Amino acid sequence: MSAGNPAASSPAGSIYDLGYRHYEGKRRGRWFAAWSLYVDSLRGIWGFGRPTSAKAAPFILAGLYALPAVIVLAFSSIISNSIATGATNPADLPNYANYFAGIGTFIVLFLIAQAPEVVCRDQRYQVLPLYFTRAIDRFDYAMARLLSLATALFLVLMVPVIALFIGDILMSADAFKAIGSEWPKALPSIPSNLLIAASVASIALALSSYSPRRAYAAVGVLAYFLLVEFVPLVIYGIGHEAGAKWVDYLPLITPNTGLSRATDWFFGTPIPPDFPSSIGAGAYVLAGLVSTLLFTGILAWRYRRIAA
Amino acid sequence: MSLIETASLTKDYGPVKALAGLDLRVEPGVIGLVGANGAGKSTLLKILLGLLAPTSGSASVLGMDIGTEAGEIRKVVGYMPEHDCLPPDVGATEFVTHMARISGLPRTAARERTAEVLRHVGLYEERYRQIGGYSTGMKQRVKLAQALAHDPKLLLLDEPTNGLDPTGRDEMLDLIKRTGTDFGISVVVASHLLGEIEQVCTYLLAIDAGRLLQSAPISTFTQRTPVLAVEVEEGADRLAAALAGRGFQARQDGACVLLALEDESLYDAIRDSVAELSLPLVRIQQERRRLEDIFRDDAPSAGGVQ
Repeated sequence: MSAGNPAASSPAGSIYDLGYRHYEGKRRGRWFAAWSLYVDSLRGIWGFGRPTSAKAAPFILAGLYALPAVIVLAFSSIISNSIATGATNPADLPNYANYFAGIGTFIVLFLIAQAPEVVCRDQRYQVLPLYFTRAIDRFDYAMARLLSLATALFLVLMVPVIALFIGDILMSADAFKAIGSEWPKALPSIPSNLLIAASVASIALALSSYSPRRAYAAVGVLAYFLLVEFVPLVIYGIGHEAGAKWVDYLPLITPNTGLSRATDWFFGTPIPPDFPSSIGAGAYVLAGLVSTLLFTGILAWRYRRIAA
Repeated sequence: MSLIETASLTKDYGPVKALAGLDLRVEPGVIGLVGANGAGKSTLLKILLGLLAPTSGSASVLGMDIGTEAGEIRKVVGYMPEHDCLPPDVGATEFVTHMARISGLPRTAARERTAEVLRHVGLYEERYRQIGGYSTGMKQRVKLAQALAHDPKLLLLDEPTNGLDPTGRDEMLDLIKRTGTDFGISVVVASHLLGEIEQVCTYLLAIDAGRLLQSAPISTFTQRTPVLAVEVEEGADRLAAALAGRGFQARQDGACVLLALEDESLYDAIRDSVAELSLPLVRIQQERRRLEDIFRDDAPSAGGVQ
C-alpha cells in the first residue's frame, strides 16, 4: 500500500520530523508524582478518561446513596406541610445524624464496584513495574490510591448532606435565617464522614489489593462487609441474652454498625437502647481509627512485598 | 563515570541462582545484554531498577548506588518490560501523558513530550484510540514511548522485539539504534537473539546462568576473519570436496559452501573448481562472522571454518 502511495508514507512526514529532542524543562519530585497519581486515580474512579460505560456504575451507585435525601429535597414542601399538621414525625425522616445508620449499607455497593477498579487493573495489566520505576515509590503508590478512594467516598457521603441542607432551607419560612441555624447542625457530618470514608476505603482497598481480578476482589470486599458486620452482631445478640460481658466489645469491629455509632458520637446522639451502655460512642470512633490504621498498614505491607 | 557497575551481584530465588556473583562494568553506549532464556537478563535489569533487591553484592547505575540512591536512579531511567504492561481501555496519548507526569513532568510538559515521543516511535492518528485495539507492534511502540517520555539518561529494554514480525522487528531495532546513537541516550537491550544485538549495539555483555560470559565492544567480535559463502544450484558437496582438496577449509551448509577468506588465492581456487566441475554458480558473497560463533562450542579459535 505504502509503496503505491509514497505521499502517505513516512518520507512525506519526515519534512516535519525534528527527530528526538531532549527535555530541558522542569522535573518535579516525588510529591508531584504522587499527587498526579492521586488526581488520575480519582478521575478513574468516576470513569473520567475512560469509556462512557465506566461512568455508569459510580454515578448510579452514588446516586442510590443520595436518593433518600434527594426525595426529601424534592418533596420538601409536602413534607413541611405534613410535619406542620403533625402527620409526620421529623425524627423518622432522614437527617444528618441518622443518614449513614439508615442507608450506610449502600456504600458497600459503591465499594464493591469501585475499590477493585482502583488497584486491580494495575496488577492485572502488569502496569506496576512502570509505576515503581518512576519518581514515586511503592508506599507513595499505595497511599495515593487509598486517598483517592477515600476522597471519592467522602464525596459520595457528602452529597446527601448537601441535599438535606438545601431541603431544610427550602422547608423553612425564612431561608436566610435557616442557613445560619442549619449549618451548625450539618457540621458534624464532615468529621464523621471523613472517618467513615477513611475507614471503609482502607478496608476495601487492602482487601482488593490481594487480587488482580476484579471479581475476586469484589467478592472479598462483600464477604468482609457481610461477615464482619453480621457475625459479631449475632454472637453479641446471643451472648447478651446469656449475660456474657465480653460480647459487649464485639460491635466495635463491625464496619457499618460500628461507624454508625461513631457518627452518634460526632452528633451527640444517645446510643440506641439495644447496645451495651458499658461502651461509649467514643470507643467506636477509636475503633474506626484503629481499623483505618490497621488496614492502611496491610495495604502498605502488600505493596512493599508485591512482585513487580 | 561508568554506566553500570556491579560487584559480585547475586540473586537467589530459593535454590535457584539467577545471578551468581556478577561483576561487570560498562561505559555509556548501546549495550546488548545477551543470554538464553533464564540466563538472568531480566533479573539483572530489575535489580538495577530497584524492582528486585539483590541477595548480596552491590551495583550502581550512572554512578548512583542502587541501595541508597534508588529514588534518584528511578528519575533518570526508562524501563520497557518484557511483558504486556498497558491497560487496554485508555488511549496511548493519555497513558503516556500519565506516565510522564508520574515521572515528575508538569502537565503541559508531559503533554508535549508525549506528542513528541509518540511521533518519534511512529504512532500517529491511532494514538487517541484505546490501546486494547492495537496490534502487537503498536503496543511495543507505546511501551517504548512511555519509557522515553521523561527523556531518561538510560533506557533499559527487556526483549523489545518480542512478538514482532520481521518488518516490525527491523523498525523497532532501527528506533533503538537511533535513540541510542543519535540522541545520546544510553541503552541496554536484553535479548536472546544475537542477530538483533549485532545490528544495534556497540557493546556486548553475554551472560549465562547468572555469570558473565563475555564483555567487549561488538567490533572485536565482527572484525575477525571474514567468511565467504559460495552458493551453487547443485553439487555443493562436490565443490566443498574439491576446495578441501586444494587445501582450503570448506564446510557445506545447504546449497552454500562456507570458506574462511584468509588470502586472495581462494577466489582463484573457487573459479577453477567451479569451472572444472561445471557447476551452476549463483553467487559468491562475503559474510560477516556471526556473533553466534561465540556461543558455539566448536567455534574454531583461529577463525577457520570446519
